[in-house]
Amino acid sequence: MIGYIFKRLGLAAIITVLAVTLLFLIIHMIPGDPITTMLGPRATPELRAALEERMGLDKPLPIQIVLFFTNMLRGDLGTDVFSGRAVTAIVFGQLPYTLALIFVSITWAAILGITLGCYSAVNRNSLGDRLAGILSVSVIAVPAFVVSLYSLLLFAVKLKWFPAIGAGEPGNLPDQFWHLVLPSLAIGLSWVGYIARLVRASMLEVLGEGHIRTARAFGLPKSWITYKYALRLAILPTVTVIGVGMGFLLSAAVFTEIVFSRPGLGKLVIDSITTRNYPVVMGSVLFSTLIFVASTTLADIINALLDPRTRKGS
Amino acid sequence: MSTPTLDIRNLSVSYSTPRGELKALRNVSIQIPNKKIVGIVGESGCGKSTLISAISKLMATNATVKSGEIEFHNSDILKISNQQMSELLGTDISLVFQDPMQTHNPVLSIGRQMVDIQFRDRLSKVEKYNRASEMLSLVGIPDAEERLKQYPFEFSGGMRQRIAIAMALMAKPSLLIADEPTTALDATLEVQIIKRLRELQDEIGCSILFISHHLGVIAELCDEVVVMYAGEVVESGSVRDVFHSPAHPYTKALLECDPGHIKEKTRNLPTIPGEIPDLVNLSTGCVFAERCSKKHDACEERPQFSSLNTEHFVACHLTGQENAL
Amino acid sequence: MTSDVGKMNETKSRSELSDIFYHLVRDPLGLVGLIIVGLIVFSAIFAPWIVPYDPIAMNIPDRMQGPSLSHLVGTDQLGRDTFSRVIMGGRVALQVAIPTIGGAITIGLILGMIAGYGPKWLDNVIVLLFDTVRSFPTVMFALAVVALVGPSLNTVILVIMVTSIPTYGRVVRTLTQSLRNSEFIEAERSLGASVFRIMRVHILPNVIGPIAVLAAMDIPTVIGLEAGLSFLGMGVKPPTPSWGSLLNDGYNLIRNTPWLIIAGGIPLILTTLGFTFLGEALRDVVDPKLRGRGK
Repeated sequence: MIGYIFKRLGLAAIITVLAVTLLFLIIHMIPGDPITTMLGPRATPELRAALEERMGLDKPLPIQIVLFFTNMLRGDLGTDVFSGRAVTAIVFGQLPYTLALIFVSITWAAILGITLGCYSAVNRNSLGDRLAGILSVSVIAVPAFVVSLYSLLLFAVKLKWFPAIGAGEPGNLPDQFWHLVLPSLAIGLSWVGYIARLVRASMLEVLGEGHIRTARAFGLPKSWITYKYALRLAILPTVTVIGVGMGFLLSAAVFTEIVFSRPGLGKLVIDSITTRNYPVVMGSVLFSTLIFVASTTLADIINALLDPRTRKGS
Repeated sequence: MSTPTLDIRNLSVSYSTPRGELKALRNVSIQIPNKKIVGIVGESGCGKSTLISAISKLMATNATVKSGEIEFHNSDILKISNQQMSELLGTDISLVFQDPMQTHNPVLSIGRQMVDIQFRDRLSKVEKYNRASEMLSLVGIPDAEERLKQYPFEFSGGMRQRIAIAMALMAKPSLLIADEPTTALDATLEVQIIKRLRELQDEIGCSILFISHHLGVIAELCDEVVVMYAGEVVESGSVRDVFHSPAHPYTKALLECDPGHIKEKTRNLPTIPGEIPDLVNLSTGCVFAERCSKKHDACEERPQFSSLNTEHFVACHLTGQENAL
Repeated sequence: MTSDVGKMNETKSRSELSDIFYHLVRDPLGLVGLIIVGLIVFSAIFAPWIVPYDPIAMNIPDRMQGPSLSHLVGTDQLGRDTFSRVIMGGRVALQVAIPTIGGAITIGLILGMIAGYGPKWLDNVIVLLFDTVRSFPTVMFALAVVALVGPSLNTVILVIMVTSIPTYGRVVRTLTQSLRNSEFIEAERSLGASVFRIMRVHILPNVIGPIAVLAAMDIPTVIGLEAGLSFLGMGVKPPTPSWGSLLNDGYNLIRNTPWLIIAGGIPLILTTLGFTFLGEALRDVVDPKLRGRGK
């Protein structure tokens, strides 16, 4: 088990290194000069040289990469072009909002999705199952930002049931929660469908397996079989899916934060792009990549913990 | 004669399929006497699985019981509720299935699973674990206490089947139904398990319904045997009577084709020509007629059961002619 | 003899196409999907001729109108007919989706087949590459690139294509790996067939089915992504109408009129539903067949 964890962490580290390097290379290979983008066409040569030096862009590429890594390991992702504040601090300031949004979204989506999927599997081909099936398929691919816009329009602007802007008063938890309702519903909606279908398929597969027949043959109560035996196995793929889905969740969060004018990583990136705050953009992108890699790694490890077969390496 | 443990009378089960009604079991009557081992022999498609699923009420959703009674402990299994049935399963009636690799939950330890099936008993967890480890030792698994902590994938097929038998016998059932329990195992394992099963049956005093297509095992283990073909019983009686003086052409053919029975060395193993009939579109005559070497005009009609002695019954016109009741 | 097996695979593909179509039409969801997709493709192709007004023609006196007989969904803040912009937006959506997915499939196919069929070290390298690209949250990555290069349709296409490659590559790789050990390929190999031939004649036809399903499910994602980026102002440049930019206008005017948001969102939802239904139905048709093949 420990061996597996180390291997998995090692892989994550390699991928992170490669990803960062790739990001770097792409940035430098793309036609277009960050300096010009940042300063505009009226930049004077002195200004350019100064900014170049400040951002370390005058050094050869491999050295830049190494420098970046060493800085990254020290927690230094550069400084904001305008305010001079550390990018890491800026990102950390906004991160909690995004994480809260993602967490709430996926939690309610998982709860509802698993319940729906379980119900569908146990009552296969019933009216409820068919309805749930069509609904699930329908909501899966609708882009989260469209759902955000519509719910903003209907529930916030027209009906005024929910706030349209912001994350709520700092320190006022109920208020913040109230502000989370619409955005997390918007993001979670497509996930409900996805998880429901996944759990349904997974449950059906498990319910058809020999050991479930054994359990029935020993008279075990139906609810016991459904939840303690079948669901426990059927949930495994969901865990991995959520881990991998973190990337999509982060992307969806970007849009949702813009639509609902919430603070967070997404808003930070967009604002930084508009103001050409290059280090902040890169820092944010890097951070979200790190989050993504971490979540997939975590999902794999949890998966291994839950399934003793991977644990003991059968 | 005391009441049989299990008395199946005129059981008919059909499946509804897109092609039509598949009559999987037709007027099947089988009795399992108290403390006896009854074997059911027949090739694939003879209805053995359907029979088991009917007895245990674990039938597929497209299966319907068309007629018949299954009497167990003074009630008709087909008439009791699912709730009542689940009270019987795992206590008075136990099952052992064919594929030991699929029988157990892969993510729970064997100990946990053996404790779970004792959920009705008011014992402490420790007591349940002890009971489990006792059973494991009884079926010949060494280091039972340690092994209870292990997971199914850490056991071989033979051991998993022993565990299945241990689980089935733990509650001391009146009836054990074993569906080809040794088919997936190699010959030496088979011998060991059969031997152990016989010993356990003796100790516990249960009846066993043992399904197999391996004639040697049936001969070794069972007291009585029922021969089934394409959903019907064609011959039944004591193992001695049926195997030494087979009356039905199908039984005779089975014995001839059994590799264990073949006395001379030959390159070509005998087979029964033809295939089992289409269970959706059945003819009105004897179900084995098409493949029977002794087929004649009378076989256009379904044969009735005739008895050769108090226990030995056969459904064949030939016998009917010879020993008119 | 090798050519016979090859011909078998080829004729199989041709008759299967009509077979697939037949089954698709039978499935109610598939039928709906097919109709919707057909409508969208049709309107996209013939957009310049169907639009009642020029999508970029401004008409300030008529601005900000609600739906009426002359303007089916009303007009936007510059007096442009929203309905026309919606139709043209469909064209833009497909203009992005097709090269993106086409490119991703092509490169994904090649890399996937190489990874599945070639030497282990190459497989490891390619898989690592896939995993690395996949570790970027797509939108973040797109935003990062746009930050440097500036918004444009081509950037969007390129970025989405690159991030989509692993999706197809992985599936192709898995399929190739499983097919690689199947008997008919072993037979071909022993008869001396070249790698390219095996890949082209045997692996390719077996891979197309799942890829088509994947593509059908992926199109709404890609279109949604483009719309999203345009919504953020990082995609198409105004005045080109994209559903995303329509939504952006609508968002800015949300307290004045709901119609822009409604008009921008509905085609997105419809497109998503249409392609998803189609993909699902396709999967039902392709899947059981696939299981029957490579054995």
